[in-house]
Amino acid sequence: MAEPILRLSGLTKHFGGFTAVKQIDLDIEEGEFFTIVGPSGSGKSTLVRMLAGLEEPSGGEILLRGERINETPANRRPTCMVFQSLALFPHRTVGQNIEFPLKMRGVARKARRARAMGLLRLLQLPESYYGKSVTQCSGGERQRIALARALAFDPEILFFDEPLSAIDYKLRKTLEKELKDIHKETGKTFMYITHSLEEAMVMSDRIGVMRDGKLVQIGTPEEIYTRPRDKFVSEFMGEVNLLKVKRNGAGLHCPSLDATFTGPASKGFDSGYLVIRPEYLRFLKPGESAENQVEGVLYNEYALGSRIQYQVRVGEQVFLVEKLREQRYHGRLDDRVTIGWEARDSMLAPE
Amino acid sequence: MGGPGKSRGPGRMGGWIGAWTLLVIVFLYLPVACGVLASLSQSRYFGFPITQWSTRWWQRTVDSIEIGILIQTSVLIALMVTAVSVVLAFMGALAFARYDWRGRKIFQRIVLLPIFFPQAVLGLALLLWFNTLGLPLSWKTAVFAHLVWIVPIATLIISIQVYSFDAALEEAALDLGATRWQVLREVTLPVLGPGIFSGALFAFLLSWGNFPLSLYTTGADSTVPEYLYAKMVAGYTPGVPTLGALTTGGAAVILVVGYVSWIFMRRAQGR
Amino acid sequence: MSTLSEAVAETSVRPARRMPRRRLFSPGLLAALPVLALLAIGFLAPLIAVTAFSFAEPRSFTVFGAPTLENYRTIFSPANTVYLSFVWSLVFAALAVVLLALLCYPVAYGLAHIFGRWANLITLLLVFPLFISENIRLFGWVLFFIKNGVLDGTLKSLFGLELQSILFTPPVIVFGMVYVYLPFMLFPMVLGLSMVPREVVEAAGDLGASRLQTFREVELPLAMPGFIIGGLLTFVLAVGAVAESKVLGGQSVIVITHDIEIAFTYAQNWPLGAALSVLLTAVVGTLVLLVLRYLDLDRILGRR
Repeated sequence: MAEPILRLSGLTKHFGGFTAVKQIDLDIEEGEFFTIVGPSGSGKSTLVRMLAGLEEPSGGEILLRGERINETPANRRPTCMVFQSLALFPHRTVGQNIEFPLKMRGVARKARRARAMGLLRLLQLPESYYGKSVTQCSGGERQRIALARALAFDPEILFFDEPLSAIDYKLRKTLEKELKDIHKETGKTFMYITHSLEEAMVMSDRIGVMRDGKLVQIGTPEEIYTRPRDKFVSEFMGEVNLLKVKRNGAGLHCPSLDATFTGPASKGFDSGYLVIRPEYLRFLKPGESAENQVEGVLYNEYALGSRIQYQVRVGEQVFLVEKLREQRYHGRLDDRVTIGWEARDSMLAPE
Repeated sequence: MGGPGKSRGPGRMGGWIGAWTLLVIVFLYLPVACGVLASLSQSRYFGFPITQWSTRWWQRTVDSIEIGILIQTSVLIALMVTAVSVVLAFMGALAFARYDWRGRKIFQRIVLLPIFFPQAVLGLALLLWFNTLGLPLSWKTAVFAHLVWIVPIATLIISIQVYSFDAALEEAALDLGATRWQVLREVTLPVLGPGIFSGALFAFLLSWGNFPLSLYTTGADSTVPEYLYAKMVAGYTPGVPTLGALTTGGAAVILVVGYVSWIFMRRAQGR
Repeated sequence: MSTLSEAVAETSVRPARRMPRRRLFSPGLLAALPVLALLAIGFLAPLIAVTAFSFAEPRSFTVFGAPTLENYRTIFSPANTVYLSFVWSLVFAALAVVLLALLCYPVAYGLAHIFGRWANLITLLLVFPLFISENIRLFGWVLFFIKNGVLDGTLKSLFGLELQSILFTPPVIVFGMVYVYLPFMLFPMVLGLSMVPREVVEAAGDLGASRLQTFREVELPLAMPGFIIGGLLTFVLAVGAVAESKVLGGQSVIVITHDIEIAFTYAQNWPLGAALSVLLTAVVGTLVLLVLRYLDLDRILGRR
């Protein structure tokens, strides 16, 4: 494999007595779309701010193509960041915002204008926007302007610090796809920060899950989704059914249901959680059976658009079952139902 | 997120700025310190370094009946100014920052005018005006003169707090069944409390220290700053810096007590 | 026809109680009234009185005579040197503003962005001198600069140096103005600087701007309203300042406000003083109104 464009080794950041980022090791490949996901306070913003040069690391190294850039100030790094607030200059027009990095580098007016026009086209903004005030642009337009500005000086890596978090759902979905298209079109390395795994799944080549300043799992979206490393990652992946279990011979004993289940093959697992995604649970008709099954009461149902989610109560335990609308369960609330799943569809997560 | 993010080379520049600020503070307090030094000198004429220290000028100042009356007058004026300013400025601040009404932009500019106006000229203009009306000058006219300058300042100070006031709080209270008057008493006033309090503190202290407006509007009554000015011009005794230091100390005590109670008020509000 | 009858029907059906009461005064105007009344009686009326007096007979004490331009004629007559006082005042004020801007910028920047939780305490320390009468503080400088004073005495006893005192010279007047009006420049500057979002400044750096470029292209234009208010306020106050020249300047130069005072007191020529006041007010007022028109006060004061 070629040399990584960005290598972090032992990267650490303290704020007073608080450690925001702890000993991070990570290689980012050229042209990759890498996303860091984590809850707020996990240190992901601090991490990306160090990479952009806005925060000085307390320890460890940042290597850009093998060269240490720890002390290089932000304005001399070939990287650029799209801020959460976008940080567009309110006293400048759209064109002046996009040209800003070029003006700082002494690019001639004519060349600047040509580049700005090209970027407006790339981002599907009308060229008439060149002289418009940024304060008069809509949320989606402002996103595109911020991206155009970041691309203007041809940086090698673009960082994104949750720029889509304040945008409504529908527009966000559109912009996510657009961003992925721009990534493909420009071939640049993108590093994206978000607290939404859904967002990360749509766009990324690889995802790093961050918690308490550490990267707890790195992998492709597929790997993270199907093989979460622990309870935290699996819960972060969206709604899942978690059963606290203990190994008991060949089976897994669940004290809360006083039942024993068969789980996937796993070495060295002693106690932790059995993780079953709602879509892998089935309603069993009389006469049907599954490797694992429990009986409970259908307590409520929620329509999630194309899918329907059911809440099934088994004693104190609540199970979520999800079905496509066309495969919905035909029955009434408060029915007694039997639900089941296959061992290969479940996962084991240590504490 | 991210804590107090400081960018490129924060340490060195922060250090320079800190040092510069320290110098500015020293610059501001140097003459105050000179006054205190002078008040502690034994001799009638000031000379530095001070050869003989003494507190007799302090003794004399504290014992003086004349100065007692001056301080009474100054405090009386300041208290009256504070009481009236707070009421007017509170309403003014609502008009300035809370209500959306047609004349608001103009009102905001009108409020600023007396602040952007030379005080000495304002004092003389008021003197002419009182004279035209045939009003005898006394501490009462001085209270009015102070108000013209201090109410706008207090309005600005309270406005800053009003800007951060969430109007939904009042609506919620109304929705929960409170009357307009209850809303004011139970919600608006307590939430704006710290702002109103700083407005009052400023009003008192600015009136206490004011000279240019008092000079022309007190008539036969005299405030401490006026008396000091007369003494500075008419013949120095160490009594001048002594009384100066005394008034400074008084203002400092009020400010510190005020600041501490202000902090407690904010705490009590839980923010 | 039908639309008309429909409209009539609709109005008559609408319950009366939901009709907003038409009020002569909106709540805003109502709240503004006391302050407006105070300023009408205490600010506008005195200015009108001064203007009226400026057209009265010289040395008279009543406005109820035939109006005359005599006072203005006196001021503008070539023999009169009062214009020098105007020039001095304007020059001193301009110098003070420039010096103050340089002096205050680093402190304001620190208060807005660097001092963090210390900012409150530092602000308190910087505000406090406002509450000491300016003549007391200026008198402290007299004690500092005077012959055998703190500076002179220290230099003499430590280094055996003897310097000409700068007291009672024009430069010390500017020095006094800088000293007295420092908070009036500083705090509007802090307001201005805190209007600049931190991320916008960081973005400029990230996009390749040097520190100087960031200041010129981003910080300065965005903080401008605060700087303008500070500059205007100190300029206006300094133009009308009188204590600095009387206490520190020792009357080496007569500033315009001093001339006005003399006319009102020693010379007992109120109409002449009034005419000078009108001219000063005209200069100051034009400047203030011109600048205030372009400022959005909600944005400046409303940002936290």
